[in-house]
Amino acid sequence: MKYGIKFCGGCNPRYERGSAFKSIIADLPDKVNFEIAREEVDYDGLLVVAGCSNCCPELKGYKVKRKPIKMWDEKHIDQVKVEILKEVDVT
Amino acid sequence: MALMNGAQYIESLRKLDIKVYMFGEKIENFVDHPMIRPSINCVAMTYDLAHEAEYEDLMTAKSSITGKKINRFAHLHQSTDDLRKKVKMQRLLGQKTASCFQRCVGMDAFNAVFSTTFEIDQKYGTKYHENFIKYLTFIQENDFIVDGAMTDPKGDRALSPSQQPDPDMFLRIVEKRADGIVVRGAKAHQTGSINSHEHLIMPTIAMTEADKAYAVSFAIPSDVDGLYMIYGRQSCDTRKMEEGADIDLGNKQFGGQEALVVFDDVFIPNDRIFMCEEWDFAGMLVERFAGYHRQSYGGCKVGVGDVLIGAAAVAADFNGADKASHVKDKLIEMTHLNETLYCCGIACSAEGSPTAAGNYQIDLLLANVCKQNVTRFPYEITRLAEDIAGGLMVTMPSEKDFNSDLKVGSMTIGETCNKYFKGNGKASVENRMRILRFIENMCLGSSAVGYRTESMHGAGSPQAQRIMIARQGNIAHKKELAKKIAGIKE
Ligand SMILES: Cc1cc2nc3c(=O)[nH]c(=O)nc-3n(C[C@H](O)[C@H](O)[C@H](O)COP(=O)(O)OP(=O)(O)OC[C@H]3O[C@@H](n4cnc5c(N)ncnc54)[C@H](O)[C@@H]3O)c2cc1C
Repeated sequence: MKYGIKFCGGCNPRYERGSAFKSIIADLPDKVNFEIAREEVDYDGLLVVAGCSNCCPELKGYKVKRKPIKMWDEKHIDQVKVEILKEVDVT
Repeated sequence: MALMNGAQYIESLRKLDIKVYMFGEKIENFVDHPMIRPSINCVAMTYDLAHEAEYEDLMTAKSSITGKKINRFAHLHQSTDDLRKKVKMQRLLGQKTASCFQRCVGMDAFNAVFSTTFEIDQKYGTKYHENFIKYLTFIQENDFIVDGAMTDPKGDRALSPSQQPDPDMFLRIVEKRADGIVVRGAKAHQTGSINSHEHLIMPTIAMTEADKAYAVSFAIPSDVDGLYMIYGRQSCDTRKMEEGADIDLGNKQFGGQEALVVFDDVFIPNDRIFMCEEWDFAGMLVERFAGYHRQSYGGCKVGVGDVLIGAAAVAADFNGADKASHVKDKLIEMTHLNETLYCCGIACSAEGSPTAAGNYQIDLLLANVCKQNVTRFPYEITRLAEDIAGGLMVTMPSEKDFNSDLKVGSMTIGETCNKYFKGNGKASVENRMRILRFIENMCLGSSAVGYRTESMHGAGSPQAQRIMIARQGNIAHKKELAKKIAGIKE
């Protein structure tokens, strides 16, 4: 499964976004592949890692099969893993 | 050309033949000069972060001209979202450098010149807007940094440009040719001018017909014939020249830069001209540039403030004062002031609107309120940082003393310094020195140029904002509100 990862720009992040992302992918099966999201690519899913509840990245241009999964707090890490795994199970 | 990274940007500067003078001498290799290099590193950060996934949402944008991915510093704002992202990008860069990163003046000039040239052309049938779009496309494609040069030396402030005893006190057209114009004069306080590939010139004030030779806007490469720069000193700047200097610099890696840019009869070809004697549009261009630039300060100074607040908190930790309630309260106050600046930056962006040319401009009243607060709050934030840091930030011996083996009595100078400048023992004496020197650098060292006095005068001195607030404040409406509720019918 091909996932795009989209970070917010990080003007005042409330947690380490990069480490949060690493900890998410560490627990996902190999068949889930992430790349930095690009507008010209079709994705199965899109993960948005934002530094605060504003969750400001513009997602209009991305081509994604499912509703993007969004997180803006470190506490969301486990929930994000669950949601991605649910999508993996369905496919 | 793709987006440059920091190293490519630095290399690109080496290819330019920029004429720089400092201490009465010509600087042959300004790129590696210890007093200039930190300011170049700062600009390089605006290039490097554009390549990082964690920052690219703020650092890059899709060009409204070519549809390609560009550095946001070369972008024409297409929405209020773009305006907000600009402020956030500036906050981010302030956080990463704790200095002035110099690239906003160009961005603010692009957006002001874009919309003003459109309106000049509508009135006069000129081709300035087309010239400017061609120029900006060139800048975007090459990922260049451009100095937005507005401020003239101005001579006697009570006199208009044409009334000055020395006509060169404002940059002016001295010759008109079939293929272009020749200009003479200077631009003062130019942020990042030496580090810029190009200069985009604008008039400083609104003008009358008598001043029309001064109503001029154009762009030129920074190494064009007849153009040279005299480097502006900063407090503590020669510390950077000391051999092996590190801790005493406070911020070894980054810094800001200003210079006097002199135009000694410089030729400007027609396709690089964006205003030529249309004196009735000088005021519009100044107002729009100032508006964008006053918004900018609600981002960049906030980022530097974030670092200073953090530094003050670290100093308190090392001092053993971190649990004191007044220290905690001072950190809250600093945060409150800093976030108030950010609120203004975000608010004037969120309330932005499209210009006739299609790019977005900020809400002018809120942008002026933003900058007016910036002329005050960083001073209070530095006052509180100095309070928390303690006097040692200005009385501490040099790094060399801390490392000295010179024996005096029973101890070396180094041992004495390390003994008496200990804090609570949680951090090494060296780290305590580092954080205090860093605070010194931002409060009254070389970075205070950017954090304090630039906060006061950059984008216009406080009175300039008060004039705009008076104009935009809508007092008539406020009077009507009061009269209605008070039952006054006259
Ligand atoms: C660190 C720094 C960076 C800067 N970067 C840039 C840049 O990149 N590009 C750029 O174009 N400019 C830049 N500026 C210039 C900035 O816009 C000017 O400093 C500002 O407009 C004030 O002009 P001035 O410094 O000549 O001060 P002055 O005009 O001398 O003002 C000093 C005082 O006199 C008052 N005053 C001046 N004229 C009048 C008058 N006619 N009537 C009544 N009172 C008056 C002012 O309100 C102020 O209180 C920078 C300035 C600084 C300090």
